[in-house]
Amino acid sequence: MSSSPTASRLYDQLNPAAAVRKRFRAWWQARLPRTDTLLLTQRNIYILPTRAGLMFGVTLIVLLLASINYQLSLGYVLTFLLAGSGAVSMHITHNTLRGLTLHLRPPTAVFANTPALLDVTLTSAGRARFGIGLGLESSPGKAVAWTDVPEGGQSSAQVSFVPAQRGRHAVPTIQIETRFPLGLFRAWSVWRPAAQVLVYPKLEQPAAPLPPAHAVPGGPAARRSSDGGEVEGVRSYRRGDPLKMVLWKKAARTLETSGELVTRDTSASVQHQLWLDWAECAGLAPEDRLSRLATWVLAANRAGAEHGLRLPGFEIAPAQGEAQRKHCLEALALWT
Amino acid sequence: MTAPRLGLAARWRHLPREARDTLFLLGVIAWTVLPHVSHLPLWCSVLTAAVLLWRTRLALTNAPLPGRWVLIAVLALAAGLTLWSFRSIFGKEPGVTLAVVLMALKTLELRARRDAFVVFFLGFFIVLTHFLFSQSLLVAVAMLASVWGLLTALVLAHMPVGQPSLRHASRLALRTALLGAPVMVLLFVLFPRMGPLWGVPQDGLVKTGLSNTMRMGSVAEIAIDDSIALRVRFLGAAPAPETLYFRGPVLSNFDGRTWTAGYGASGPAREPLRLNGAPIEYELTAEPTRLFLLPTLEATTAIEPIDGLNSNRRDNLSWGTDRLVQGRVRFKATAHTRFEHGPLQRNTSLRENVQLPPGYNPRTLAWARELGDHPRMANADAPALARAVMQHIATAGFTYTLAPGVYGETNERASLDEFWLDRKEGFCEHFAAAFVVIMRALSVPARVVTGFQGADAAPVDGFYIVRQSHAHAWAEYWVEGQGWVRADPTAAVAPDRIVRSRNLVPAPGLVAGAMANVNPELMAQLRASWELLNNRWNQWVLNYSRGQQLDLLKNIGFDSPSWQDVALLLIGILSGLALLGAVWAWWDRHRQDPWARQAQQMRRSLQALGLPALPHDPPRALASQVQERYGPLGAAVASCLLTLERQRYGPTPLAHPSAQWLRALRGEVRALRRSAQHAPR
Repeated sequence: MSSSPTASRLYDQLNPAAAVRKRFRAWWQARLPRTDTLLLTQRNIYILPTRAGLMFGVTLIVLLLASINYQLSLGYVLTFLLAGSGAVSMHITHNTLRGLTLHLRPPTAVFANTPALLDVTLTSAGRARFGIGLGLESSPGKAVAWTDVPEGGQSSAQVSFVPAQRGRHAVPTIQIETRFPLGLFRAWSVWRPAAQVLVYPKLEQPAAPLPPAHAVPGGPAARRSSDGGEVEGVRSYRRGDPLKMVLWKKAARTLETSGELVTRDTSASVQHQLWLDWAECAGLAPEDRLSRLATWVLAANRAGAEHGLRLPGFEIAPAQGEAQRKHCLEALALWT
Repeated sequence: MTAPRLGLAARWRHLPREARDTLFLLGVIAWTVLPHVSHLPLWCSVLTAAVLLWRTRLALTNAPLPGRWVLIAVLALAAGLTLWSFRSIFGKEPGVTLAVVLMALKTLELRARRDAFVVFFLGFFIVLTHFLFSQSLLVAVAMLASVWGLLTALVLAHMPVGQPSLRHASRLALRTALLGAPVMVLLFVLFPRMGPLWGVPQDGLVKTGLSNTMRMGSVAEIAIDDSIALRVRFLGAAPAPETLYFRGPVLSNFDGRTWTAGYGASGPAREPLRLNGAPIEYELTAEPTRLFLLPTLEATTAIEPIDGLNSNRRDNLSWGTDRLVQGRVRFKATAHTRFEHGPLQRNTSLRENVQLPPGYNPRTLAWARELGDHPRMANADAPALARAVMQHIATAGFTYTLAPGVYGETNERASLDEFWLDRKEGFCEHFAAAFVVIMRALSVPARVVTGFQGADAAPVDGFYIVRQSHAHAWAEYWVEGQGWVRADPTAAVAPDRIVRSRNLVPAPGLVAGAMANVNPELMAQLRASWELLNNRWNQWVLNYSRGQQLDLLKNIGFDSPSWQDVALLLIGILSGLALLGAVWAWWDRHRQDPWARQAQQMRRSLQALGLPALPHDPPRALASQVQERYGPLGAAVASCLLTLERQRYGPTPLAHPSAQWLRALRGEVRALRRSAQHAPR
């Protein structure tokens, strides 16, 4: 076995069998229907002896040979008792999965490069089940979440994966396995949930400051500020802003994250609107522009500012609040 | 320990899961290894105990495990010590020693699951090695506990979540084993039994059994060998147990140390055999004797021909063969328990039976001469002399024991003197040899006969079982006008041995002795039940062999079963079981919630009407669909559907769907289709 990940990747690339196996697995998985609720039955549970199970078989043969050669009646008893228990353990292993219902809760949207959590609920109509492991099919053996399901009850297990790209992603194939009770057999099933997870563009690190808000030129909503004491909006701190205009409460919150001061915008213009514009991020690669815009959406939402989003050939009217944030991020995630 | 006594249970409960599991496994390993202490060199026991204690400490303190080099060093030390103790690292005892040390060392390496598995497999292997030394009931029970413990540890290792209780895990392990028990019984009964695959190194047990020679003082202690020597079934009534003498080699020559066969052992019989009473027909299955001889009931007059083996009766009444009897032999024969044989008049064939080597056992010979010179014996005949000697054995304080110690160690030429006059402890061989020497000293022709005496009582299947432990030696002396007469001096000292054909148990231990003093009746009762249990154990488990397997098949109805039949039967039953499992699996796949099945049938019925009837539509929605499409024509079907709603979701719902309802619905649907076809639309 190769130890380092790069070496194992290289091994996978060079090994023709690995390529064939990968093709086969892809073909085979494509035949599985996608569903968010899966009942495990005989049809979708596979079972094979583990390496320990094969070793157990070898041990049984050694015990049997010794019993024959030394004519040990009790040796036969021991060998056959173990063989019987092993055979029964195969059924128990299979039974541990059979009749189990898996349900995937709708996954929440995440930013690219941050882990997406898949919350699976396991329901057992009948007996209690032990030692059930969930993991991603693409990384077998690694990061398996173990759980027990009580008799006639439910339990939950979480598996996570880190999406690398924005967009709407299918949930990766999940593998559910068990080796209970003796570890001689491994029963497993492969599950392709139907749910999709929405992945926003990855956040920019460190975050660039928000662009200045612009007055709406002559808009109908224009109002004259009476004495500069009225609050029309907020914007990023700019050099020369009076300290009393800084929104300290908000600043304290934002300082933790983006390190940005926010001040009241009481400039002469009446309606100030924050436009997060594709054109503002000139000089960046398209994906990086989306990242910056997504970061800005978060910052603007945090600051409570009214913000709009402008992408080439696409525009979201300014608004604020959680719905607007979601709307903007979704647009960024799916923009092509 | 500073911890209070009460705290121990609490501490156990509050141990971290991993430490607790490790301690449990260490306990199981210690229990598994413990019975080996008496077979292993001291250093091995000490080393194993030290390693296990070390590992316990590491588990309690949660300290890191030692490095690989420490293990290799200890292993090298153990291998060296094994070599030093046994001069070899191969063979039974060195192998067991190394396995035990390896098992203990492996616990110091218990990191991954793979290591744990190695410990489990070594554990099962060590359980097996116990049976090389003893297969008694006690060992079996102790090892059953070991297997249970090992399985429990294995189950624990596969319950990765939380802190499952030991009781829970052990119950799961027990369930697994109990469910597997039928498979075990089936395989045990039907797995073809075969002979050893390669030569078994004869270390350890001294096998008792028939031999062409008998050496005075060479056997220090007879192992209690319960293996089967032969099985006998009587076709008529069974003779009394005290008449069950199975004749083996007859030993006439004595050189002072070793008894060997004489001239009468070769060539067919010429001496007359005079029979009385009714013949006894019997069937005998003999395990390999590894002699040119078949053990037969005294006195067997005829044996049905045996395939590939020629046998005939010798002058000394034993049945010789032309080949070494290497395999199991089964034959039918006729015998008479009341008979006379041997010459009626003194002839040359008797001469070798009075010879004694000069210079051996002078004190015994002097004792015999004294007996013969006694005025009471002035004109005594041979039977009177024999009676006198028997009388002496019965009254002079002789003890029957299976562990008499070695005779003739100090003076090779006086081994019999030592037995007859000094220690007076021995078993059948000693008594028979002494009797013959004394009779010869009195000029009476006499010889030693070896064979088996008695059989296990109460045959379940009609087969009396004669074990190696029934091996016996007795004597014959010649009487003018009558021939050879059997004398069993052992009967004089231990009549129990002959009549009930039971081995005397070795001297009781301290506890048993004390108990016997307090309540001898209870003690006797306990011993009787223990022996009964042990006997059953021996018969049903330890000596279940090919013979019994074939007998079983015969009972089932096979005409002349062979081991191929056994294998076929086994394969047949296993495939039958597998087929049953497949059928069950098929049935289970189609098993469905009855309500869901009813809903499916209902939908199919409604779909025939052309309604979509989707799975999520409740009966009420379906009813309105029907009404919508058919108007008043569909009223019957709709009300039927509403009835279903009441049945299933009403205040008093039915536990199971009603079959009548489905029939009613189908009827209504059929009626609706008919009327819809005829009705103008």
